[in-house]
Amino acid sequence: MSISGNYFAGVDVGSLAAKSVILKDGEIFATGLVPSGVNSVESGLNALNLALETAGLQKEDLTYIVGTGYGRVSAPYANKAVTEITCHAKGTNYLHPSVRTIIDMGGQDCKAIRIDQDGAVVDFAMNDKCAAGTGRFLEVMAGVFKVKLEDLGAIALSATDTVPMSSTCTVFAESETISLVARGEKPENILNGIHHSIANRIAGLFSRVGIESDVFFSGGVAKNSGMKAAIEQALKVTIVKPEIDPQLIGALGAAVIARNFSKKEGLWA
Amino acid sequence: MSIKTLEIVRKRLEERPEELREARKKGQKVVGWTGYNVPEEIIHALGFIPVRIAVGGDDRLVEVGARYASSKTCVFIREIVGAFAENEDPYIQQTDFLAFDATCLQNYRAAEVIEYFFKKDVVVLAVPRNFAEDDAKTYFVHEANEFTRLLEERAGIALDPARLAESVALYNDIRKTLKSIYTFQAAKDNVISWEEVYDLIQAGELLDKHEYLSLLHQTLAELKERHHNPVIESDDGDSRIFISGSLIPRGDRKLISIINSVGGRIVGDDLWSGILPHLDLDIKEISPAGVALGYLNRTPHAALPYLNLESDRRLKKLHELLSQSKAQGVIYHTLRYCDPFTFKAKETKNVLAKSGIPLLEIHTEYAGSDYEAMKTRVEAFVEMIRIKSESVQEEAA
Repeated sequence: MSISGNYFAGVDVGSLAAKSVILKDGEIFATGLVPSGVNSVESGLNALNLALETAGLQKEDLTYIVGTGYGRVSAPYANKAVTEITCHAKGTNYLHPSVRTIIDMGGQDCKAIRIDQDGAVVDFAMNDKCAAGTGRFLEVMAGVFKVKLEDLGAIALSATDTVPMSSTCTVFAESETISLVARGEKPENILNGIHHSIANRIAGLFSRVGIESDVFFSGGVAKNSGMKAAIEQALKVTIVKPEIDPQLIGALGAAVIARNFSKKEGLWA
Repeated sequence: MSIKTLEIVRKRLEERPEELREARKKGQKVVGWTGYNVPEEIIHALGFIPVRIAVGGDDRLVEVGARYASSKTCVFIREIVGAFAENEDPYIQQTDFLAFDATCLQNYRAAEVIEYFFKKDVVVLAVPRNFAEDDAKTYFVHEANEFTRLLEERAGIALDPARLAESVALYNDIRKTLKSIYTFQAAKDNVISWEEVYDLIQAGELLDKHEYLSLLHQTLAELKERHHNPVIESDDGDSRIFISGSLIPRGDRKLISIINSVGGRIVGDDLWSGILPHLDLDIKEISPAGVALGYLNRTPHAALPYLNLESDRRLKKLHELLSQSKAQGVIYHTLRYCDPFTFKAKETKNVLAKSGIPLLEIHTEYAGSDYEAMKTRVEAFVEMIRIKSESVQEEAA
């Protein structure tokens, strides 16, 4: 897909990371990804500035900026704010027009999103307010095993067994994990069980919205190969391989929407 | 420009607790009632002052209530129990006795807990589960007669049919006027908002009924003066939202304020704390039995089981109200542990999907911790409706 015009940016401030994407002539021109701090305005600006620096641009060069993520409510640098649900839908559709179902797993929530051929949201469901099935949950588990977050998936995939995990509450799961370690279970088998328990919980979300092929996995957790495999097994689907870092999809969608708003408001033809 | 009568209503509500105190000094009794099938006309006709016990939105009171009821009880009921435990609510303080019904069994349990722990006199009206059957009607008539007898005992007088006829006429007039006012909130020029009408409906749970009717007539006159013929249709850019599900009592405005904050426009509801109890109440005979049957024949409460979706009057009513209000989507509000509505969420979503109406379930409680997560869901739902609506308009153009 190719769109012409000026520079449009999307900034997605999540609970663990802030991301930005700059579009030029319908192509991804630059991206930025930084850890989120306590100040969401600053986090968003850091991500945006990183992309601007990579692109060799100034903020003034941008025709339109859309903010998204939980930090969208405090994004004075943005022309408009749009929810991450709408942005993930648009971003996914931009890269993979055949996708109709999205699993978005971020730092503090998880979403099941159904979209149409134009990338418009048809239905969606989000996890309850607890951290089960989120990046934060996996972060806690990585802490328990003293391994890097990015290594969790590969470790889970090396398992020879799946140790069932009965709790998805972060606090209870942590103590259950410690008990399982004390019982002599292998870490990789426990981690495999953790990934599968999250995947089963996600399957519950999809019972509310349904699944239609193709299926895409976005958000920071989508980089976890063990989670991808567990979800494919739980949902009985094959997940489309992402063309870019799946953590950037929300920001990409925001940039696409920025371009649409800009056109609608007559800022470019 | 706001409706002037609504300001009077707000002022009268502020003065109402003191009025009740004065009335009780003069020997009148205040009955605190709650439940979908409590026949308020009978309470009124016996000379009692009815006030509805419906408080919400205070998580602290929910925690207090959990000391007496199970923490797995719905948050609304737990808050009511908590409010009785603290006894700081100005209306609860003024109640001489209570009238609860067993439409929702948690309501019935609340009556037990309140009677046991706080020594309140509670009259309970039993309600049949299988409401659609003839035997159930016979049973309910019997229970309504018994309910009336218990009220008569407390009133020290027998129910006078002439007084009952007056009360029924008064309440019928209130319902009719409310329905007329309700039409304006969904209309194009938005001369009165759904939120204002909702507050007005709930004011009627507390104010003197004669005065309330007069205020409703005054409100309607003001509306007609500004807008002779309300036409229900979409304004450009509207995201017309219908609210369904668990009740939203006084004090709980979290979801409503979120919908407003993200640009959604509420144009209708079928909440039992809203317009629903005022619809389709046809009292054919002036007697406790006649009033009771009128109540039972309305759109049934979700707590009463009915498994045939094809003939379920609740779904039929929901479709009818959605069509009248020209709503584009339903936000289905479920309170934590409010089983009747929570269990029906998926079913209702599937049924509405066949008519092309999207439904978003918002499952919540009175704590503020889920505010942002709720806001994201509601905002995305409003965006979804808006995008769909714009795409339909573009196609039409």
